[in-house]
Amino acid sequence: MALILLQVPLMKPGSLTVKLSSQRKPFTDIVGLEVGAGLSEGVPAVRLRKREGAIEMLAAGFLKLPDELPETAESAQHANPMWLLPGPFQAPHAALAVSSKQSFLRHAAGSGDETPDKRQSAFRIASRTATPDLPPLVAGLPEFQAAWAARLLPEGRRPTACSLQLSSAAALNGLTAAPAFLSAGGNAAALFVFPEYTALAAFQESSLVLYREHPVGYVHLRSALSTQMGIDIALADSVLDDTLIDPTPIIEPVLRPLFRQVEISADFLSRRRNCKATNFFLCGLPAGASYWSTVFSHMMNMPLLVCPTFDGVQRAQRPTPKHGALAPLTKAGEQLLMAAYGAARAVLEDE
Amino acid sequence: MRKPLHLDLLKDEERLSASPIRLRVMLPVFSLLAALGIAVWWSVLVARAHTLGLQKAGLENAIAELKPAHTSLLALRAEEQDTAATLKQLAYYKNARVVFGETFAKLADHVPEKVQFTELRVPPPPPLPPQDPKKPLLGPTNPVERVTLRLAGRTSGPEPVNALFQTLRTPAFTNLIRSAEIPKGAFRQDTARNAANRETLLFELTCECAPRRFE
Repeated sequence: MALILLQVPLMKPGSLTVKLSSQRKPFTDIVGLEVGAGLSEGVPAVRLRKREGAIEMLAAGFLKLPDELPETAESAQHANPMWLLPGPFQAPHAALAVSSKQSFLRHAAGSGDETPDKRQSAFRIASRTATPDLPPLVAGLPEFQAAWAARLLPEGRRPTACSLQLSSAAALNGLTAAPAFLSAGGNAAALFVFPEYTALAAFQESSLVLYREHPVGYVHLRSALSTQMGIDIALADSVLDDTLIDPTPIIEPVLRPLFRQVEISADFLSRRRNCKATNFFLCGLPAGASYWSTVFSHMMNMPLLVCPTFDGVQRAQRPTPKHGALAPLTKAGEQLLMAAYGAARAVLEDE
Repeated sequence: MRKPLHLDLLKDEERLSASPIRLRVMLPVFSLLAALGIAVWWSVLVARAHTLGLQKAGLENAIAELKPAHTSLLALRAEEQDTAATLKQLAYYKNARVVFGETFAKLADHVPEKVQFTELRVPPPPPLPPQDPKKPLLGPTNPVERVTLRLAGRTSGPEPVNALFQTLRTPAFTNLIRSAEIPKGAFRQDTARNAANRETLLFELTCECAPRRFE
């Protein structure tokens, strides 16, 4: 069952750059790494292996590595960190998912003319068309950030970079392989929650038909809780996971505009594409998922189901000493590995 | 089949190999090692050539020092060879000696009364062929030399000569004289004497003796 139909757009002068994968041999062992996430836990890393058609997870966790993304070309030239991964994550190849405030992922406007961002600065751009009647989805990352990320993993050591993706695009691949999504029949809308924004992705018959980003992330919820309850930022997640205090009155004003946009998008899909969204998923949220679901149910009269990141993924039964044992992950930590997992999964399944 | 949303921003030149063996590193290393190997090989060759040169010079000096002794040794060897050849030839001649004395001593007892020898001669061997002055022959080249005995004398008739002829064929003489013959016209009158002695005949006997063997 095809989830996303990918097509290469026609080349035109000044059109978006076509980036086809130059992979010659299918990859079978990949470690996904999220660069620039800025998490206190470390760099999200997930190692996946494809064996006999099935994908299994060999290792997952957070690595203490310098991942501060350079903001300017000058700082990128002077910063040359080198990542050396611990043994369990030393796959032959790595898929990097970059989280950058300067990146963008959106549907191309009109005929796919050059974007203003591209004119202002040199951007590395890739695009894919899911269905012929929809504009292609365009991903862009500043050239200096892309070049900096590509230099992170040195030559001659495992792993080396084989793919460079945006975190927002990579995260989509985690959901589309989940059994909960597949059981919904391919007609679903999902909220991918990132620190600074939340992405709404709608699928019709497993094809991506809508992608929108809204500037509300889980950091905004933490800030609201911290400010209004007078607590430390670090305690905000504890409040969200706890049931002693109901933070709904505080987070509802933050979430309401976001869910209003979801409602508008669902209405848009229903009218324009005759696609009634009946399944809503929530991905990547480290804390407070139950409150998100409650607010969403009140507004949309629909359930918002939390989709675990590693839903349906086999764990390696007997990890070898080289691969290492899988460290136990909390539910919050598992959600934060969404982009790294999706990046690795995209490479393994892109044959 | 489900296709993932893989928006890859990595450039081809940024795809690096994880193998520690990298061509752009190993190529200069191998080139350097090859150049080093050639230099070592060349220096070994030069050292060997130098050693061989020294060895050659040493051998030439040794040869120069040994040359007079070698020359004298060669002369001594040649002299020794000449002497040995001479001794060998002398030994041949010694072995080839034909002993006539005992036979001739017996012959006196068997000569009939009517026979008087006027000649008893062993003709000399035929002369040697012309010799090469550069390489003179030390002896006869033929290892076997024919030996003949010529007997001549006076007699009163053929009977005493025939008796003598038969005597020469007895075992007492056959160890030396292998055969004897009276050549045709061997008997003739002795014209050189006076008439009273006109009945005296001259005779001649030719005997084939045992050959001289230079062995």
